[in-house]
Amino acid sequence: MKRKEIVRVENLKKYFKIKKGLFGRFKKGEQQYIHAVDDISFSIGEKEVLGFIGESGCGKSTMSRTLLRLLEPTSGSIIFNGEDLLALDSKNLRKHRRYMQMIFQDPFGSLNPRRTVSDTLRQTVRIHKLAATIAEEDILIKEAMEEVELLPVEEYWDKYPALLSGGQQQRVSIGRVIILRPKFVIADEPVSMLDVSVRIGVLKLLEKIKEKFSISFIYITHDLSTARYVCDRIAIMYLGKIVEIGPTEEILSNPVHPYTQALIAAVPEIDPTVKIKNVPIKGYVPVVPGESSNCRFYPRCPYADEQCSDGTPALRKIGTDHYVSCFKR
Amino acid sequence: MAILEIKDLKVHYLTKEGPALAVDSINFSVKENKTVGLIGESGCGKTTTARAIMKFVKEPGKIMGGEIIFKGRDILTMSDKELRTLRGAELTIVRQEAQNALNPVMTIGDQIAEVIREHEHIDKRTAWERAENQLDLVGISHHRAKSFPHELSGGMRQRGMIAIATACNPDFIIMDEPITGLDVIVQRQLLTLINDLREKLNLTALFIAHDLSVISETCDDVVVMYAGKIMEKADVVSLYKHPLHPYTQALINSYPSIRGEKKNLVSIPGSPPRLVSPPKGCRFHPRCSFAIDRCREEAPEIREVDGHSVACHIVK
Repeated sequence: MKRKEIVRVENLKKYFKIKKGLFGRFKKGEQQYIHAVDDISFSIGEKEVLGFIGESGCGKSTMSRTLLRLLEPTSGSIIFNGEDLLALDSKNLRKHRRYMQMIFQDPFGSLNPRRTVSDTLRQTVRIHKLAATIAEEDILIKEAMEEVELLPVEEYWDKYPALLSGGQQQRVSIGRVIILRPKFVIADEPVSMLDVSVRIGVLKLLEKIKEKFSISFIYITHDLSTARYVCDRIAIMYLGKIVEIGPTEEILSNPVHPYTQALIAAVPEIDPTVKIKNVPIKGYVPVVPGESSNCRFYPRCPYADEQCSDGTPALRKIGTDHYVSCFKR
Repeated sequence: MAILEIKDLKVHYLTKEGPALAVDSINFSVKENKTVGLIGESGCGKTTTARAIMKFVKEPGKIMGGEIIFKGRDILTMSDKELRTLRGAELTIVRQEAQNALNPVMTIGDQIAEVIREHEHIDKRTAWERAENQLDLVGISHHRAKSFPHELSGGMRQRGMIAIATACNPDFIIMDEPITGLDVIVQRQLLTLINDLREKLNLTALFIAHDLSVISETCDDVVVMYAGKIMEKADVVSLYKHPLHPYTQALINSYPSIRGEKKNLVSIPGSPPRLVSPPKGCRFHPRCSFAIDRCREEAPEIREVDGHSVACHIVK
């Protein structure tokens, strides 16, 4: 099934300057950069969920903020519904912002503790001028609360976030997003801070609103096991680059990149009778380098040889929609 | 022989709204050379239990009753002086967030040596050598002994914590979410280390986690807690293969596994209760799909069923 394309990202880069410090200023030498997001391209179809998986420091959060232009990208293009976001001025950007929303990891931290549930939602309605009268506002807020299953609505209407459980707080955040009827939502680790028993409930809610309002999602996580149940496709990130991308079940059953293999093998197994083989890779994610002339995974890779220290591997097609960047595969 | 026995332990937090029953009459024991997993969601009382075993419960928390028998003696009646000789040597803890638990202005080697010198009368040099050996044991090269915590990665700091906790050959070690908040690959390396140490040092341990899979990989027995109460106790294989309590079943059915067939996940409705006003009867009944009238009125006692200890009216 070919989906309609909603978002298309090409050669997106985000470099951060490295500050030199007081004494460094008097030293000669070129300005150095951290390549947080380094030449990423992908597209997302209608109602599709694309997962970005990686360890901390791999650039997945920087990428998501860059996509919404909360951070200005260094270069590249982001096409949303046929329009290049990077070409828009701030006034036009604001019009588009309504349709591109974000759900954050920390539900309590992203809600104003001094606003009740209905006030939080009302603020969103007012900023985007969705209603003309207070009665109309109330209707929109009530609908959103019903949609995210904060029921009965009267019970939650005047509650402050501190009195809600983590799952309920996250539902308020989701309500605040869907009241705007977005077309594209980035969910940045939306369940990693929630209790295990409420995670699945929140994930099912995301699935429901995706179908109902035709939303395309980016799901950012370090947790492959929830990604399996949420994502249509998965992109594995390592140090600012996509190292493997493809359909979820294909990646999980046939991982090709050594880093993907290690990530999958590292996930703990719930069945105590199954023993997991140890991960062959060593060390931990280094600080993101600047310019590098080798494969970024080279220092940790068990299969690396001279070829890998010379040149960066490009993404190659190895199956239906399945791409990998590795010289050895 | 049981190294640790917890009998009828009650810990309450005295809040403005009334006492929160964080740990409410729990019983379990840990036998020599066994690892017991304590699993539950945040706020179920697992960390409070760990703190009570160390007698570290602070205001507004208060131990309201019960006994914690460690090698035949009740920790709760010990004096501070007795506890000092116990803690850090015979009875140790690895806490989550190693970055906050380590002293930022002391090298990792010094922190290990300090613990050894506190409990054993040996000279500085021997203690330092022991510290270096400890670092090698946990997979940090002894060349890093002079590193400060900020020079170590998160995984290495947690290894350092384990080195400190095992420095004096403890009889009992508590691991409170030792791998939470670390990257997946680092988690896997730490799980491997913990399992190696269990074999090498014959550890007796209490392993606390919110994730059943982590417990499955490291423990012999499991205690499932919910809202301050124990729901079910069993050995780890039997608990996973034949869970009896509806809460244990729900936890397993809602677990997204990455291996094997993709199963249909069942979510658990509602959210955990506030401990200031827990539900009457069984604390899980508002979220339980099998609840009957009796569950709403009467709190179930723990019973022995098929080798499990389970607190549920409907389990036959």
